[in-house]
Amino acid sequence: MATAKPPARPAILSANALLGGEVVYFGAAGWTVRLDEALVAADADVLARLEAVLADPGTERDVVDPAFVAVTLDDAGRIVPDHYRERIRALGPTVRADLGPQAEGKHRHVSL
Amino acid sequence: MYRYDEFDEAIVRDRIAQFRAQVARRLDGSLSEEEFVLIRQMNGLYLQLHTYMLRVAIPYGTLNSRQARQLALIAERYDRGYGHLTTRQNIQFNWPRLADVPDILELLADVEMHCIQTSGNCIRNVTADHLAGVAADEIEDPRPTAELIRQWSTLHPEFSFLPRKFKIAVSGAVHDRTVLAIHDVGVQIVFDEERGGIGYRISVGGGMGRTPMLGKVIRDFLPKEELLSYLEAILRAYNLAGRRDNKHKARIKILVHEIGLEAFRERVERIFARLDRTSIDVDAAERARIAAYFAPPPFADLPAESAALEEARRRDPALDAFVRTNLIRHRQPGYAALTVSTKPIGGVPGDVTAEQLRVLADLAEAYSFDELRIAHSQNVVLPHVRLDDVPAVWARLVEAGLATANAGLVTDIIACPGMDYCKLATARSIPIAQAISERFADPARAAEIGPIGIKISGCINACGHHHVGNIGILGLERQGIENYQITIGGDATELAALGERLGPGVDAEAVPDVIERIVAIYLAERAPGETFADTVRRIGIEPFRPALAAPKEAVREAA
Repeated sequence: MATAKPPARPAILSANALLGGEVVYFGAAGWTVRLDEALVAADADVLARLEAVLADPGTERDVVDPAFVAVTLDDAGRIVPDHYRERIRALGPTVRADLGPQAEGKHRHVSL
Repeated sequence: MYRYDEFDEAIVRDRIAQFRAQVARRLDGSLSEEEFVLIRQMNGLYLQLHTYMLRVAIPYGTLNSRQARQLALIAERYDRGYGHLTTRQNIQFNWPRLADVPDILELLADVEMHCIQTSGNCIRNVTADHLAGVAADEIEDPRPTAELIRQWSTLHPEFSFLPRKFKIAVSGAVHDRTVLAIHDVGVQIVFDEERGGIGYRISVGGGMGRTPMLGKVIRDFLPKEELLSYLEAILRAYNLAGRRDNKHKARIKILVHEIGLEAFRERVERIFARLDRTSIDVDAAERARIAAYFAPPPFADLPAESAALEEARRRDPALDAFVRTNLIRHRQPGYAALTVSTKPIGGVPGDVTAEQLRVLADLAEAYSFDELRIAHSQNVVLPHVRLDDVPAVWARLVEAGLATANAGLVTDIIACPGMDYCKLATARSIPIAQAISERFADPARAAEIGPIGIKISGCINACGHHHVGNIGILGLERQGIENYQITIGGDATELAALGERLGPGVDAEAVPDVIERIVAIYLAERAPGETFADTVRRIGIEPFRPALAAPKEAVREAA
């Protein structure tokens, strides 16, 4: 579940893009729609960087409702959100495989 | 059907211009999200799980073909080719971009539609019986009353920031098809010769959510001409005293419950007595002007039965099945209303594609005096079809995937969008509806079971009306897994009742089995002629408790 506070690490920072509304993650080069590009706060440095983004008043020029999402890295090192809500958010509606990031194969590795 | 006058048109266009500027100011950073969220909500724009969602008001669920085609155009041009019909007779688009919303609103305004007050803490779109002007049990057409309330409540300056949202429904019939009892205010049209003929019975304080309550009658007969001033008194009493400290206790139902109906009534009557009613209520001429928009269409003089339809039914069992379940007798001889089910077996309840919207528009134009209705069941109704034309209409519905013969049956399930779309959801609803639908796919079995309302909500806010489902299903989270509580005994008719929980919640996979066992108990217990609701009323819910007894691993402790 997304929370305003950083959960026990690892975690990523997610939001919705202001202009288009799509789910985005904060990556090395800024906000991205690709979950696999999300910066994972697995150490204090990355966590501090993501917290700074969250605290930056300028962030709301780009995105809405930024929040930390608890994740686990699977055996292959892929990011898997812990909560089913966030997995649905990452994929798109489970009843419409043709809609959302799952339709473009971006996050197909994430399973419910 | 009501047509905008110059005031309606100007209000809607002005609002779009205002919102366009507000969007621009949000995008250039001069409005914060905190400021903007209230503004976008007042224009029906939500931020959901995946992206924005735009909810379009369909006043009292009435659409014409031009409007349906425009919705199809919007679905294709700005969304993903479909819309979703809601339990409040609205339609929502699940994938708009913020930057496009002002343009979408312009397209809606072109066909006299808008999204004003479809969100936020204000008086929401007024709902009414989807069989208005059709049903034989109608005392008076509810649409003129609903339209009057719509005009009064639109941008009402005093009631734009209520403690919480406020929902009003109007029924003009003996049988309630609007679920009046779960509304903040329910307006029932009544006839009492001794008190002046047609008037209103007003109920107040109904609602669902985490504290479901049935509305209580605050005035058993309100003279027709006093409606708006009495509503104004109710809203003012609520606006002054409704709680603003706790979102979960802010609805009028909590106020009425906390101070008691009598105390609330006294407050309302005190305010009512002091109102300058002449500045609020409309005169008989204005009421007649509005009512004229809803005059019956020019029906032909037809025999009550149609030989052509009967012959076609004999030839085609599928048409016969459709007529048995989805045809509603019209009070006008030779006509019928047809329920167009948006619940194909295994489908998403309430979803309609742009192409389907166009088919419905064509059928409305050719066969139903250019009218469509959206029912709170998330189905569509063609209200005025000649019996002779039913075979042709049905054939077109078959082609469009809209002819499922299941209106009111076990697969005609109400389901909110749930966690597949909704930010507030705690579990998914649609896959549960799909699984039950597939389990009961056999039409002969569904016919044997008879009328039954299964209603599914993906969170305690109860948009899927689970509290009043004959069988209600509430999706929650239990230790990181979706978990579903089952209720029995809810009733969405004039015999309104809230369901009672059968016991601990069950996992998603177990839900169809539980429903199966509930239905089996009903079939074993029912007396001749009883519906599911009748049987539950007679024997209570206790005999149904064993239905939860699933393999142990599937049962979890109640949340």
